[in-house]
Amino acid sequence: MSRGWRALAPWSRATEPPIVPPSGWAAALGTLTALAMSYLAVLTLAAGIAADKLAASWRAELTAAATVQISAPREALDARIVAALAVLKNTPGVAGARRLSDAEHLILLEPWLGPGDWLADLPVPRLVELRLAQPGPDAAALQAALDRAAPGAVYNDNALWRGPLVRAAVALTRLAWFATALIALAAAGAVALAARATLAGNAEVVRVVRLIGGEDHFIEAAFVGRLARRAALGGTAGALLGAVSVALMPELAPGTALALSLGPDGAEWAALLMGVPAVAAAVAWVTARHSVRLMLRRIY
Amino acid sequence: MISLDRVSFGYDGPATLCDLTAQLAPGSFHFLTGPSGSGKTTLLKLLYLEHRPISGRIALFGADPARLDGGALTRMRRRIGVVFQDFRLLDHLSLRENVALPLRVAGEHLAARAGDVDELIQWVGLASRAGATPPELSAGEKQRAAIARAVVNHPDLIIADEPTGNVDPEMGSRILRLLTELNGLGKTVVVATHDLALIRAAKVAVEARVMRLAEGRLLQGAAAL
Repeated sequence: MSRGWRALAPWSRATEPPIVPPSGWAAALGTLTALAMSYLAVLTLAAGIAADKLAASWRAELTAAATVQISAPREALDARIVAALAVLKNTPGVAGARRLSDAEHLILLEPWLGPGDWLADLPVPRLVELRLAQPGPDAAALQAALDRAAPGAVYNDNALWRGPLVRAAVALTRLAWFATALIALAAAGAVALAARATLAGNAEVVRVVRLIGGEDHFIEAAFVGRLARRAALGGTAGALLGAVSVALMPELAPGTALALSLGPDGAEWAALLMGVPAVAAAVAWVTARHSVRLMLRRIY
Repeated sequence: MISLDRVSFGYDGPATLCDLTAQLAPGSFHFLTGPSGSGKTTLLKLLYLEHRPISGRIALFGADPARLDGGALTRMRRRIGVVFQDFRLLDHLSLRENVALPLRVAGEHLAARAGDVDELIQWVGLASRAGATPPELSAGEKQRAAIARAVVNHPDLIIADEPTGNVDPEMGSRILRLLTELNGLGKTVVVATHDLALIRAAKVAVEARVMRLAEGRLLQGAAAL
């Protein structure tokens, strides 16, 4: 509504103009800060969600699968594999065991040796793939049984590198939460500065309103509501931009067995898109309210 | 009754006002006069509760504002209408919105008081300028808008700081007439001015008293004009 029309319009709450002047660099700064912080928050939260999913995926895959590697003279190899399979079949915690075919072995060797029938020429150990139940087998007992039945068979449950991988993923998740907390703190600081700048720019308005009988909560509402609305607006824009950026991230190893969808799912998207602007507005509301109260306390 | 009992005040240095004692009866009209820098505006700020005295006691409407909590202090401020020396209108609001501001901050429903606001704007002769913002108004128009804002809430005490300082003599007479009319309605009026012609002109219309300030001291208390 234009100023001239508003001046002639019947009074109503809806047509009441803001007590605080509607523009100024501090206003734009507050909105931009909320936008930038929300954008970064969405990215770090999405990274945290992805790291969490990666950790869960690695943990599940690595604890559900293992291998037995069998080395033996060529003439004894088949017999040892059969003996090892027999041991595995009767081992608690092993849900299934399958000897890899020659073709699968050649595929595994190809990156290092190139194409060719290397199994005939080289003493390549053979692999048996295991599906593990939960809890898995007693590794020491299984290795002892394999030693007795099929000397040269080595049980590998990935323990050596599973732990560090999962720990790394968990650490990534924690780092993402920590970064998000830092962003929230930085946002609070920036909003407090913007609030103070807005208040400093409108100190005369505050004094006049107080002198003509404005109560503290009236002045608080005029400033705090406005700052929180700006933060919510900037937060929403930042969250949407962040969501678009996350959605445009390429999928990990698309079309392969390693393909993983690490992005947020439906509920997580909803939490990010609603939660981040809500938190931005809440942070703005609390810090702005605190700043306004400090200022009001300083004047009579 | 408004009373000052040995009131002193200073801005982080030597006292600007020293040991002031005075009494203003309800419904009276007072001029506060003195040379520039004598403390007129500072004394008014104490009366309209922008500053606290560093010593002594002020009583307004029978209460000591220093002893009031936030809510009671706000209610006391609503009984005081102030015409500031520099008007202190909010530039982003229209004249009409500025005049209605005390009603709005007091939580009154503006639609119900729109008639009062318009009548008041008409009384100060600014009906045709109701939609203009302060930067679009002349000094005299701002002064009259400030008077309208000061009285819209029906205050018991009206304080005006150099209300004719920025206007021509004709506008000064008009503003004085508005203030004497308000006094005629039973309002206590305190006007700071160094315009002796204004004081002489007021004598014709109202029984006014003069308080003279010099170097932060009241020379004779409340003397008759």
